[in-house]
Amino acid sequence: MKSSKKKADIEQKQESYGYLFRKFTFLTVVCSVVPLLLVGWGLNAYYTYYSKSRTIGNFKNQVENHRRFVEEFLKEQSSKLRLLTYTHSKAFLLAPGHLQVVFENMNREYQSITDIGVIDHNGRHLAYVGPYPLLDKNYADAEWFKEVMTKGLYISDMFMGFRQEPHFIIAVSRLEGNEEWILRATVNTDVFRTLVENVRIGESGEVYLVNSQGIYQTSPRFGGKIMESSPVKIEDFTESVKVTIYNDNPNGSGFSNQIVGKAWLDPPGWLLVIKQDYSEAFAEINHSRRTNLIFLFICAISILIISLFITRYMVGIIRHRDERANQLNAQLLQTGKLASIGELAAGVAHEINNPLAIISTERQILIDQFQNSHIDDEAFKDQFSTSMDQIAIQSKRCKRITQNLLRFSRRTHSMIEDVDLNQFIFEVVDLMEREAKSSGVKFITDLDDRLPTLRSDASQLQQVFLNLITNAIDAHEGKPYGSIRISTTYEEDQTGVTIKVADTGSGISDEDLNRIFDPFFTKKPVGKGTGLGLSICHTIIQNLGGKITVNSKKNEGTEFAIFLPLITSLPEPEDNGEETA
Amino acid sequence: MIGSKILFVDDEVVFASNMAKLLESRGYWVKAVNTGDSAIQELEKQDFDVVVLDLKMPGMDGITTLKEIKKLDLFTQTLILTGHGSIDTALEAIKLGAYDYLTKPCEIEDLVEKIEGAWGKKDEHVKKELNENIQKIVESPASVFNLYPKREKNK
Repeated sequence: MKSSKKKADIEQKQESYGYLFRKFTFLTVVCSVVPLLLVGWGLNAYYTYYSKSRTIGNFKNQVENHRRFVEEFLKEQSSKLRLLTYTHSKAFLLAPGHLQVVFENMNREYQSITDIGVIDHNGRHLAYVGPYPLLDKNYADAEWFKEVMTKGLYISDMFMGFRQEPHFIIAVSRLEGNEEWILRATVNTDVFRTLVENVRIGESGEVYLVNSQGIYQTSPRFGGKIMESSPVKIEDFTESVKVTIYNDNPNGSGFSNQIVGKAWLDPPGWLLVIKQDYSEAFAEINHSRRTNLIFLFICAISILIISLFITRYMVGIIRHRDERANQLNAQLLQTGKLASIGELAAGVAHEINNPLAIISTERQILIDQFQNSHIDDEAFKDQFSTSMDQIAIQSKRCKRITQNLLRFSRRTHSMIEDVDLNQFIFEVVDLMEREAKSSGVKFITDLDDRLPTLRSDASQLQQVFLNLITNAIDAHEGKPYGSIRISTTYEEDQTGVTIKVADTGSGISDEDLNRIFDPFFTKKPVGKGTGLGLSICHTIIQNLGGKITVNSKKNEGTEFAIFLPLITSLPEPEDNGEETA
Repeated sequence: MIGSKILFVDDEVVFASNMAKLLESRGYWVKAVNTGDSAIQELEKQDFDVVVLDLKMPGMDGITTLKEIKKLDLFTQTLILTGHGSIDTALEAIKLGAYDYLTKPCEIEDLVEKIEGAWGKKDEHVKKELNENIQKIVESPASVFNLYPKREKNK
């Protein structure tokens, strides 16, 4: 019953340490992982933001540069035409062969113009150099003609026109005298397309132009052809470059998971679109984010492992301390109990001793008086002496009890001091010799003179030896003579001292042997022993850091062996070759 | 030795007078007192062979009384009879010069035996000093006037 309760207690304690372990681990992990995650997340967010804006900035620059490049090309073509209109009169250009020379000169370096023609204010084609038979065409109704007549410069969208091939024209007008005429050139579509499309942006990047109606002005790399309608949503004209990141085709923008740069070319009012897959554009950022995550994960795992170890270690220390504290508490409690019992016992013993002494003197007086008087009644005489003997026996018994009580209570001021054990044993033997002699017991001492000075508690040790010797003397009851052998040995290897108290008394039976240190266990007749002596010895020796063991044979004797540690002081080796070697 | 003068000191009045009675019936001359102070006073008034002293007494306790007795520097021997049961205190008393100790309650025969021992020791001391004095007087007869100066002073 008691052991099962103890077991449950231990289990509960284990449980509480498990709880403590989990709590500490949780706290440690939270305390270290939360800041780590915060820092990691913050750094990651900042880095992502920074890299993204850099990537977007780069992308924007690229779009801007490309726009300028295409614009410059268009401007250059129109400037060339305008220059021609100012440097050459209509009459000159219409003269046979002149336009051909001009066309050849214009295309000398780059084949950027497919054909060139001069048109009068009525829309009639006056002169034409190029691969198509367009001389007889009249453009009076064409949209571009009206446009150029009003604005002076016109760049068309891509159109099929008479030649049934995607192309666009640049036309400039010139007022010469009262008459306006137009110089019109077709830009080489291949050259222009190469110019626009030949920007490679990664694996997934593409560049194309759409007009304000959303018609492809150049062929995109993926899905779509020139002159086809694009799914791109055309936004209002803006001066600046606009870079947008699209996730999953929002609002039917025609883009999904892409970074898209848009810039308007003006003229001719085309939208330059440069786009790249999001994953490719931000591959580097994604990669570093992954690396960050892995790093964070490894950190978190190592923190977890470290905190597990640290917590286990700490809980181990706490458990150890707790056990020690509990042990001390139990000892303290036991000591406190014994002390109060001791005080009570001493008080009772004192109070009893005096009346007992008076009783014994009164008895003696009666005996004296009785011996001096002459009484003839033999029966009375017999009864008288029997009663007097009984009074003496019972008084002695009382005395024995009070002495035991007093001896038990003699736990005076304990303090750790230097103890010369041999001298100490000599004194104790001296004290007890009188009592032993009256029981026919003599002391034999065999003291090791190499014994070092101990750091121990003399008053407690005295109690132990008085108890052991008293027991040893009592063990000889019924035997006419006997001896108590006390020996001390210096245990060099164990840095301690062993004291043996061996008697030639009645011995202890095997079944009693493992109970003799239990409190209130006694084999002495009722009224003779408290059953506390050996229990106290055990506690004291344990508290002093030592060990007490017992060896006994029924009817042959008992030997108690006490090991005491030196604790602090060590003796100087005396003529000991082994130690110096 | 029949006829010894004994001072019995114990705060238990009945015990002291009983003991006195018992010892007197065994041929001793006994004076029983109940405090340390009165014991010292008695010792100053007259010589005793043996003082039987209780350790635990109200007022001046046994140890203090013993110290006072020792100050008087007498041949008187002191025997401790204690109900205190404390071997430590008894041992201390022996260290202070008490002849021996007994614990209460004790058999009258044990006490008589101890008293005899104590008396014997006192006798030994007296004889020793007497011999020394005789020796001194033999060596220089004039020194007879300087003998027992301490005794004179104490009285």
